[in-house]
Amino acid sequence: MSQRQTPPGVSAAALERAFAAFTRVVGEQWALRSEEDRRTYEDLYAFDAVDQHIPSGAVAPGDVEQVRALVRLANEHRIPLWPISRGKNLGYGGAAPRMAGTVVLDLGRMNRILDVNEKFGYCIVEPGVGFYDLFDHLQRERIQLWMSAPGQTWGSVVGNALDRGNGAPLGEHAERICGLEVVLPDGDLVRTGMGAMSNSDTWAAFKHGYGPSWDFAFTQSNFGVVTKMGLWLMPAPEASLSLRMKLPRAEDAGWAIDALRPLRLQGVISQPAGIGNYLRDAAVRSQRQQWHQGEGAMPDAEVQRMIDTLGIGWWSVRMRFFGPEQVNAAKARVVRDAFAKRTRIEFEEQVWRSGEPLAASGAAIPSVSGLRLANWMGGQGAHSTFSPVLPADGALATAHLARVRARFSEHGFDYYGGFTLGERALIFTSGIIFNRDDAAMKARARALFAALIEDAAAAGYGEYRTHLSFMDRVAQSFDFNEGALRRLNEKVKNALDPRGIIAPGKQGIWPRAYPETRR
Amino acid sequence: MSQRRLIMIAAAAAATLAFSQIACAEEAAAPAAADSAALYERQCGICHDAGGFGTVMLERRVGAERSVLAQRNDLPPAYVRHVVRNGLRDMPPLTRVELPDADLEAIAQYLQRARQ
Repeated sequence: MSQRQTPPGVSAAALERAFAAFTRVVGEQWALRSEEDRRTYEDLYAFDAVDQHIPSGAVAPGDVEQVRALVRLANEHRIPLWPISRGKNLGYGGAAPRMAGTVVLDLGRMNRILDVNEKFGYCIVEPGVGFYDLFDHLQRERIQLWMSAPGQTWGSVVGNALDRGNGAPLGEHAERICGLEVVLPDGDLVRTGMGAMSNSDTWAAFKHGYGPSWDFAFTQSNFGVVTKMGLWLMPAPEASLSLRMKLPRAEDAGWAIDALRPLRLQGVISQPAGIGNYLRDAAVRSQRQQWHQGEGAMPDAEVQRMIDTLGIGWWSVRMRFFGPEQVNAAKARVVRDAFAKRTRIEFEEQVWRSGEPLAASGAAIPSVSGLRLANWMGGQGAHSTFSPVLPADGALATAHLARVRARFSEHGFDYYGGFTLGERALIFTSGIIFNRDDAAMKARARALFAALIEDAAAAGYGEYRTHLSFMDRVAQSFDFNEGALRRLNEKVKNALDPRGIIAPGKQGIWPRAYPETRR
Repeated sequence: MSQRRLIMIAAAAAATLAFSQIACAEEAAAPAAADSAALYERQCGICHDAGGFGTVMLERRVGAERSVLAQRNDLPPAYVRHVVRNGLRDMPPLTRVELPDADLEAIAQYLQRARQ
């Protein structure tokens, strides 16, 4: 059992006094201080020793007034808080704070679905609402709207959008945010956009309101605690059409990206298209030891044997269309024609019509079964993802792919990755899967992650989202004018939060109160 | 049983089970102690029903016949409490916010009842 960690500069006695005050707000049941409680908030997939990100405890408010009271007390007692929604940001730090000793502000009890507006296609939800909750609500009430969700859907609708997570069917979830309620670091309460009018009906229908637009300033941010979010949902479509193509060679990714880019830019493909490598299929269906027993990255011959046995491609290209059946069919025809100019391989096509089992529709049906990929290496599995943003250009992507694959081999890992194509840029995702029982492998995983950051930054590719352990380094790679963006972020941070009590260090934004903690 | 559970059971079953077995799965999840069964389904079923992540991991570790928790007969409440709060291998621990003590107790008792 480890000694209780306190925040920097805070004595054990001062922490006790703060917790006594917090407890008067939330009650004994929701002030969580035991060793066992603290351990439930640690980062399961930590690259470092878990104690580098262990909280000193957690408090769980039940409503926004309790959040405001806790934030004011945190100021008074100078105790940093780490807000979480449901704490399931697995692979990016989970529920754990950036700075050890920070108190987790667990918003999981605030789990009301406040409004679902079928007519205008939006919902307003609290941070504790999970994808399962929202899905069940839409189904139970027979609301003709679909949500979008990431591959692992254990987490929070609000938390995922605030972390600018991606998912299906809609892609970038932050783009669907429309209106926030936020407790500011001084305890003030603000609503953004049209919600700033006390009698507006368009809070979750019109994004920007009047004057500066603040919603995005509270994503990947430590400027406040989001307590409500408006989020756009999609109308349940009358049909969907999925296209999937298996490509046999690593170098096929380049032309596929070049084929897809104009289709994305023109809007023929209106949702992100994915290109994933063989391991994205193999790791959820098997374990490495079934294919290869030795150390180091799997040899190419073994990889090919696995691909052939499982009947998968080196790459799999996937996209789906939603809407009227004849529109989907017309779009699919345009895509097939574009690919036919480059390959004789045909798309596998699957059509779903409203009323048929939803499982085949492409709707976001909550599941955590994809987590089994973490067990690829055996032992206690862990994973994280390195995801820089590149221009949506085949030659650039394949050149960087060569660098990434070389780094994976050099560090003894099997390459896991792919591309998610936006309209102009792509997210180049590389997953690092490791066995956290194996200290040497964990060290190699950390070294690989660091090398990938360096290589990407050298090419001018910045990461869109990252794990706790690399937040500072990735922030440093945004280096224009000697880090002017960091200076701006920290000026805003210090103005809003002079005592630095909300999520110090998140995304590499360090308040003046913790100057020594950056690394 | 929620629509999601029905859909997921149907999806998992499509590959491996005949239609008649889907009906059995629905019946098995609707015991007399409806509240604790529903609680188990909501909090644990996402991973521990047929086809779930936890079930697949358990199948790899202890075999298919012991991989679905609700069908096990060797899960004393104290063990369930310990695993939920401390995690076990690929299963993360659950906080007292996500699963309050009273709910954990009901789930532990539900799994105990499944044994009797």
